[in-house]
Amino acid sequence: MAVELISANHAAALAATLAGRANRTARGFCSGVYPITPSTECMEYLCGQEIEKGKVVRADSEHNAMGICIGASASGARSFTTTCSNGLAYMIENCVAAAGYRLPIVMSIANRTLGPPWNIWADHGDSLLMRDLGWLQFYSADIQQVFDTVLCAFRLAEDPRVMMPALCCMDGFILSHTMAQVEVPSQEQVDRCLPPTDIPHRLDKSAHTLGQMETPHQSVVHRAQHHQAMLNARQVYAEVQDSFEEIFGRRPADPLVSYRTEDAETLIVSMGTLGVTAERVVDLLREQGQSVGSVRVRMFRPMLDEELRKIFAGKKRIAVLDRDISIGFGGVLWGEVRGFADPSAIVQNYMVGVAGGDVRPEHMINLLAELEQANESGAPRIVEVA
Amino acid sequence: MMNEPALNGMAHTEQDRSEPLLRAGNSNCGGCGMSNLMQMLRRAAAERELKLVIPACCAAVTGGSFPESAFSIPTIMSTFASAASVANGDASVAQLNGEETRVICLAGDGGTYDIGMGTLSAAAERNEDILYICYDNEIYGNTGGQRSSATPAGAATTSTLHGKQETKKDILGIMAAHRIPYAASISLAHIDDTLRKLQFALDARGFRFLHVLSPCPTGWKSEPAMGIELVRLAVRSGLFPVFEVFDGERYVLNVEPEFSGEALMMYLSLQRRFRNTGVTEESLRPSIERYWNYLRLMSGRIVPARRNV
Amino acid sequence: MGQQESIPSTATDLCEADLPSDISFPLEIRLHGRGGQGGVTCAKLIAAIYAQMGLNVQTFGDYGAERSGAPIRAFTRVDRDPIKNRNKVYRPDHLLVLDAALLGPPVLDGVAAGAVILINSAERVEKYVEPFADYRFGIIDATGIAREHGIGTSSVVIINTTLVGAYAKLLGLPLEVLEDVYTKMGLSEDLQAAKEAYLKVRICPADTTVSGLAVGGELATSLPPVKPQTEHSEDIPTKLKTGNWSTQLPGYEDYLAPCNHACPAGNDVVGFIQALKTSGADAAAEVLLRTQALPSVCGRVCPAPCMHECNRKQMDGAVNNRSLERWISDHSRFRLQVEKPEKVLSLAVVGGGPAGLSAAYQLALRGHRVCIFEKAEKLGGVLRYGIPVYRLPEEALERDLERILSLGIRSQCDHPVDQAEMERLHRQYDAVIVSKGFSDAYTLAAAGETLDGIEQGLDFLARSREAGSEARLSGDVVVIGGGNTAIDCARSALRSGASSVKLVYRRSRDEMPAIDEEIEDAMREGVQLLALRQPVAFRGVGQVAGIVLAEVELGEADADGRRRPLVTERTTELNCSTVLLALGQENELGLLPEAWQVRNARVWCAEDPLNIWLTGDCSTAEGTVTHAIGNGRLTAMVALAALANTSTVASLSGTESTPTQLQQGSLVAPAQVRFSHFPILAPHQDRHQALENYRNSFEEVNLGLSGQEEAERCFSCGRCTQCDTCLVYCPDGVISRSDDGYRIDEEYCKGCGICVAECPRRAMDLNDKGLSDGC
Repeated sequence: MAVELISANHAAALAATLAGRANRTARGFCSGVYPITPSTECMEYLCGQEIEKGKVVRADSEHNAMGICIGASASGARSFTTTCSNGLAYMIENCVAAAGYRLPIVMSIANRTLGPPWNIWADHGDSLLMRDLGWLQFYSADIQQVFDTVLCAFRLAEDPRVMMPALCCMDGFILSHTMAQVEVPSQEQVDRCLPPTDIPHRLDKSAHTLGQMETPHQSVVHRAQHHQAMLNARQVYAEVQDSFEEIFGRRPADPLVSYRTEDAETLIVSMGTLGVTAERVVDLLREQGQSVGSVRVRMFRPMLDEELRKIFAGKKRIAVLDRDISIGFGGVLWGEVRGFADPSAIVQNYMVGVAGGDVRPEHMINLLAELEQANESGAPRIVEVA
Repeated sequence: MMNEPALNGMAHTEQDRSEPLLRAGNSNCGGCGMSNLMQMLRRAAAERELKLVIPACCAAVTGGSFPESAFSIPTIMSTFASAASVANGDASVAQLNGEETRVICLAGDGGTYDIGMGTLSAAAERNEDILYICYDNEIYGNTGGQRSSATPAGAATTSTLHGKQETKKDILGIMAAHRIPYAASISLAHIDDTLRKLQFALDARGFRFLHVLSPCPTGWKSEPAMGIELVRLAVRSGLFPVFEVFDGERYVLNVEPEFSGEALMMYLSLQRRFRNTGVTEESLRPSIERYWNYLRLMSGRIVPARRNV
Repeated sequence: MGQQESIPSTATDLCEADLPSDISFPLEIRLHGRGGQGGVTCAKLIAAIYAQMGLNVQTFGDYGAERSGAPIRAFTRVDRDPIKNRNKVYRPDHLLVLDAALLGPPVLDGVAAGAVILINSAERVEKYVEPFADYRFGIIDATGIAREHGIGTSSVVIINTTLVGAYAKLLGLPLEVLEDVYTKMGLSEDLQAAKEAYLKVRICPADTTVSGLAVGGELATSLPPVKPQTEHSEDIPTKLKTGNWSTQLPGYEDYLAPCNHACPAGNDVVGFIQALKTSGADAAAEVLLRTQALPSVCGRVCPAPCMHECNRKQMDGAVNNRSLERWISDHSRFRLQVEKPEKVLSLAVVGGGPAGLSAAYQLALRGHRVCIFEKAEKLGGVLRYGIPVYRLPEEALERDLERILSLGIRSQCDHPVDQAEMERLHRQYDAVIVSKGFSDAYTLAAAGETLDGIEQGLDFLARSREAGSEARLSGDVVVIGGGNTAIDCARSALRSGASSVKLVYRRSRDEMPAIDEEIEDAMREGVQLLALRQPVAFRGVGQVAGIVLAEVELGEADADGRRRPLVTERTTELNCSTVLLALGQENELGLLPEAWQVRNARVWCAEDPLNIWLTGDCSTAEGTVTHAIGNGRLTAMVALAALANTSTVASLSGTESTPTQLQQGSLVAPAQVRFSHFPILAPHQDRHQALENYRNSFEEVNLGLSGQEEAERCFSCGRCTQCDTCLVYCPDGVISRSDDGYRIDEEYCKGCGICVAECPRRAMDLNDKGLSDGC
């Protein structure tokens, strides 16, 4: 296995390229792409690749980039695209459609603040727009994870028990434009890891319509089936990890990354690169004798509720760090996970690093110090970080 | 103008009967021009493999309710603005796999002239291998009849109660400006010309665009039986020029109108959408003449063709 | 797609007290209709009525993405208290069915005994008495009424406003409240239809003696399984029975073409031309020979009223039917088979002219024994002795005669029939058909008419026929008359050595009864026409040397529509050496015994009808060969029918294949032919001998058509040619070819009528289906 020094954007595109080539024995690879900072490098890299039985269409908008992916995937091809922020917002109607058709399209997001005010730096608000749309969602914390997650996402999305699109998120600039060593498998290894794409309901030769009108009853049943398929992904992901490990000799990250949580009294819950900082803080505070652990939610959809309940059990204080704001409510992650904690636990939400603020360990240490003093859960708090 | 039997008798072949593109039992209104187009498309397509991409429009509804379908070929109902991009994906994969499948967008005027315009323009600019057919009933029919940029001046709609003020877009001019290999207008009343163009467009490669004036008894407030005649009147009066443009530069006029005032008057009076909006034969005449002067200039046919000789 | 309906606010002239006492609240109303009928507006109208009475109302449609014609529902809820129920109506107190074809379990779901039902149906109320005994119900043909009042289009009639009239009556609501509400909602144009429905609705009370029959009391509760999207890769074809949407169904019908209607011989003109077009001369002859004994003759000398009436005349010129008939007779040796009658009759025909030959031919075709008695040397009558050979060559006549006689007809020529002989024939034959033709020619009764050189034109034509151009004339010839005989005389005179020929006619050119083309040919050959001239005297000593012509003015129109000639005092003189009189012929029936009278073309003795019929000019005096042929044929049919003692007789005009009684509108008018479907194509003209050959030659002038392409020009008015136009334009592909035409799939036909509108030739029609229901 080669080790390359690449950025996360590059890693995502490289993974997509390898996945695309892997489908050359089936119906090939087709992707519609459109530039937007900070995802642009990913599409640029993809546009520079020679992919056997593959085509990358330089689309005219994010909306149509996803339209092209839909058409390609509906025709049985493997498909991938990338965008973020307002580009994603513009694309979202077709993201809804991709999920509604149950097409296993994989998308890489370099998370970026939604504007205006215009701001190009990291914020999870864009991908969280997609929370309820029936897409699998992953948040990576380093460049290797970005690479691995994209590969795993194809396998997971295309699994007949799952069969739906997947979103692979990385923090804009923090990961997207940061280079580091990445272990890159050979094409042959990727070929083994990713069986040919088989979309059973794709448009073939038979009289079959994708995306028809439905009655309320039909739609609610189809939603229920989609929901169940999403839940299936928890188990299927574990199988993907096993298979990945067998082929690559390396296990991709868990859906929930627990760090020193077993004996911790206080937990930090976060997504993306915040989690890496959180792990550093855990180490620092442990050195000072504090009993702290970190949980990084890598797989946001499906939400691993049971596992989180287990991890949260008996914990007294939980700081949920959100790199997002649901204006008028608080952090999205906090809203989702607070119910998994013990009733007696103090669950405090800190919206930190929103709109690209660089969250340093001391920020977190201060917040935890504050939390240690609290007697009850306070209102969600927006923490200003430059 | 016809020969007997019509279309040289090809319309009653076994294939035409056994599997129409649009099956009987669809939910289109009686007298729908799009239905008529689909019957012609089946005749033109014959054994060719087709895929349909249909954005929000009447055809998306007539497709039927899960798990039934009125279309006998693989079809995807896309989002409103995405027909050409979804077709782009379909066509690319067909090409990657060496398949002869013809990918067809079947879109209404709203999905073409308005919300889908950017998508259409982009796919045309990339010269993707798509046959884009706009069936133009000059109205948002699916939502009950609001104006689109294809609605002609003087037509009352539910969003322009006293008649639309603005003239409709020159869609073929727009498409010709993309220098696509083939762009043509189709009159459903002229079946031989329709069939020829559909066949040509099916066989051609690259981006092909067909504009079909599609009578809509519901939106035009006209007798369902008069649909084809209305198209014929639109052609006879010069209101709807039937022509084709190759590579954006070679214009060929296919049907020479008689520019008859009677035809124009009949066209207006047979549709209640033009009632009480102030539009008249005289008010339409200058724009018809202007457009035809332009077409004659573009086609090099300065002298009108002699009719029926 | 739900939307808020705005209801006119209450201005209560009326109040709840005006309501029938048996209404209990909350009142729930459900409507079932089809998209386009106005069901949602109907529910809104009903709500507006109750709102007008000061009650709280709520009204909404069950919106889908339905199209015109698809089943829809709408609801109205009425209560004294504010309405908090936001559900659809599952157990309606009132059910309105806008289309009876919808009746069935889903419509009657939850409708309990005692409910009020209103059905739009053209059926008799009795039909619903049994299935709806549990309900109080009303039946109204709202579609019929609304269509009468022009509400909606003919295929999608909007019936909401009409139906509400019937609802008001069924509920006992006052009519005035409707007027208020309709006016407020801008629907006052429809009030008349509502009032008509108010008066016409037929109401049946609930029959409390029958119970437990309520079809719908129960609601369906189970939900069907739904296949996962990802396991679904082939759809089921839609099975929406769209045939139920329409109230009209297209069908194929024959209508009468004007040529067929006009043909005095009763020929199926459309039939033989279409047969020629599609299958050639023999097939055409098979059609033609059924009615036409003398196609070679008629194909040359018929005045062709069919061409005058031809619808194509209004577009680019009439179809050259006459020459197509000639083409068929010249290019086919086809013979019809003689039928075998139940009883072979023996019939005599007196006179071997066109009427007699036609009668004999028809009788012989039906297997009867026929003998023709002809006073002249040969058969043919006027065909042989009255029409010059340059128009009707001997061979053409002989060909027709040979075909007629080949059926086994005997003939006795040189056999004049007088009264005694007539009585003998009456005794010896089952029936006698008298077709003796005209008798003596009219004279002018002008001074000097006995001078030499003044001759009856018919005598000259007979001489000329015998001797050809040997029947010499010289000098200036004047022909008097304007009919075909006059033209024949004039042209024959030119061929016989006349140095000039003038045709004197007392009316104008337009009124000349001669065939137009013949007049034109005569002019072309050099005949001069002196119209509006009446000869008043002949001048000369022994031999005619001149003619005095008075100028004529035209006065009021005669009964026949032609303007009466008024002879003036102004005269001119014209020199001439020969005068040929062509003024027509008398009709006399001296061969009938004194005691016999003719009534309605049959001979009677006192009050007893004899088996003797008159036909041709001696009966009708219509004066053309074609009329004679037609009349001869029909007389033969009348005679056979009388002998077979059947009262039904083929009419005296038209053919067996076209409607005998001309129904109103059954004749195809030019406006009913879709000219735009046909390319403009000038008629194929007959070829003619070169003009310089005319003089001194009795060679046939008109050489007929050079091919049969002219048949392609026939519109085939009113008769399907299987041109596929209906099939090609059918938006739903529900028309298919069947063995002998087309089949329309009634299950799916939406009744849009495009096939009918596009039919190039009016061979289709849209017919009301009549509402039938699924009960």
